[in-house]
Amino acid sequence: MTGVLAYLAAVWQVFRKDIQVEWRGRQGIPVMLVFALMIVFLFNFALQLSPDLQAGLAAGLLWVSLAFASTLGLNRSISLERENNALDGLLLAPVDRSAVFFGKALGNFCFTSLVGLLLLPIVSLFYQQNLLRLPLAAVLLLGVAAYTSLGTLLSALSIQARTRDILLPVLLFPLALPILIAAVEATRGLLSGQTLAELSSWVYLILAGALLFNAAGLLFFEIILEE
Amino acid sequence: MAANPTPYAAHIDIGGLSKRFQHRPVLNGLSLTLNDGDLCILVGDNGAGKTTLLRILAGLVRPSQGEVSVCGSSPIGNPRIRRMIGYVGHQPMVYQDLTARENLVHYARLYGLAKGEEVVADAIAAFNMAGYQHQPVRTLSRGMQQRLSLARATLHNPAILLFDEPHTGLDQEAAAFFDQSLRRLNQPGRIILLAAHRPQRLLTVATHVAWLREGAISDHLPVTALGSAPLLNSYLQEVS
Repeated sequence: MTGVLAYLAAVWQVFRKDIQVEWRGRQGIPVMLVFALMIVFLFNFALQLSPDLQAGLAAGLLWVSLAFASTLGLNRSISLERENNALDGLLLAPVDRSAVFFGKALGNFCFTSLVGLLLLPIVSLFYQQNLLRLPLAAVLLLGVAAYTSLGTLLSALSIQARTRDILLPVLLFPLALPILIAAVEATRGLLSGQTLAELSSWVYLILAGALLFNAAGLLFFEIILEE
Repeated sequence: MAANPTPYAAHIDIGGLSKRFQHRPVLNGLSLTLNDGDLCILVGDNGAGKTTLLRILAGLVRPSQGEVSVCGSSPIGNPRIRRMIGYVGHQPMVYQDLTARENLVHYARLYGLAKGEEVVADAIAAFNMAGYQHQPVRTLSRGMQQRLSLARATLHNPAILLFDEPHTGLDQEAAAFFDQSLRRLNQPGRIILLAAHRPQRLLTVATHVAWLREGAISDHLPVTALGSAPLLNSYLQEVS
């Protein structure tokens, strides 16, 4: 196999393994989904807002619930590698270690995206907004790509810390804030009838974040995991 | 398994190796040379740095200072050298929710092994795991997980095999199975370095013993020459 093909095969294998483990254990996606739904329900019943205010809240609530649920998924994804020291098994493999990053990031992206897409009709129902639109799904996928690539990188950074379970959200939320703000603004804009072209500055900001965090993973993942 | 694990000459050369974790020195100017066909038992007290040395050789830990050469190149950040290394650590490095077979298939794919399924079937047969191959790892005994770990580490027929306290937690039967596997794995074209806290049972199969003390190798000699090292001899008696 040539270098590029071997690299892509390794990315695919790490991703495929994460899917296989999730299928067997079913401990990641269901927990993320239930957690996200709880946030949606709680806010809906706790705030008792008028329909007008509810509509304004939908974009923010979608992203807050998704960010919190995704953090659970990221913790689960890295704890899977801590168990039995499986991460060492990946690091011993004769492939560039950034392939492990992209494989893990791809898995985290797929799990969080699935939860996000399942949330769309539920948030639509509770907050009386039609979120089932293609441009909105595109923004959601782009935002999740940026958020989970940063999360994958930071979860690797926190793996050797004693306080790793609380360290991830403490590091992730402030660094992901620009991405989350851009995603909320783009979603809100789409809900108020603007087009993707009119919201291009927010979309480009999310895209830049996704590229930046993936580039950081490519360059620094090996260094981060070194003892 | 093939007779010659690699087209490269198996060789390990370590010179002036030091490793500090924050400000705590673990290895301090360690030097050691191992040649093709060596089965070297690395002995030393708990905390002497045996695990750190093995992890550096496996390319999992970056040395603070010194030279480490495995088959002619540094193992740090070098996938080509990692392909020649098999490492069995304290943990089996497998996924609890997957079956033994699925774990091995995962590693075969990750290593890009041609005829991966065939290699996995051979490994399952070689380590006598056929009856357990479809069980999730979390249901396997410590002995069976150790067999799985051995199969994982040798799947790609490595020239360098590193074992870290492989007898820990094994009952008599599992330990005997490991010793038998070790004899089978010890072949020309390969180096085996095995860290052991209680090495007596391995002296009949080993070619060399290296004693790690105060961060350096204080003795490294053939098993047949142990009589000429009274301090090491009395240490081995003490820990047996």
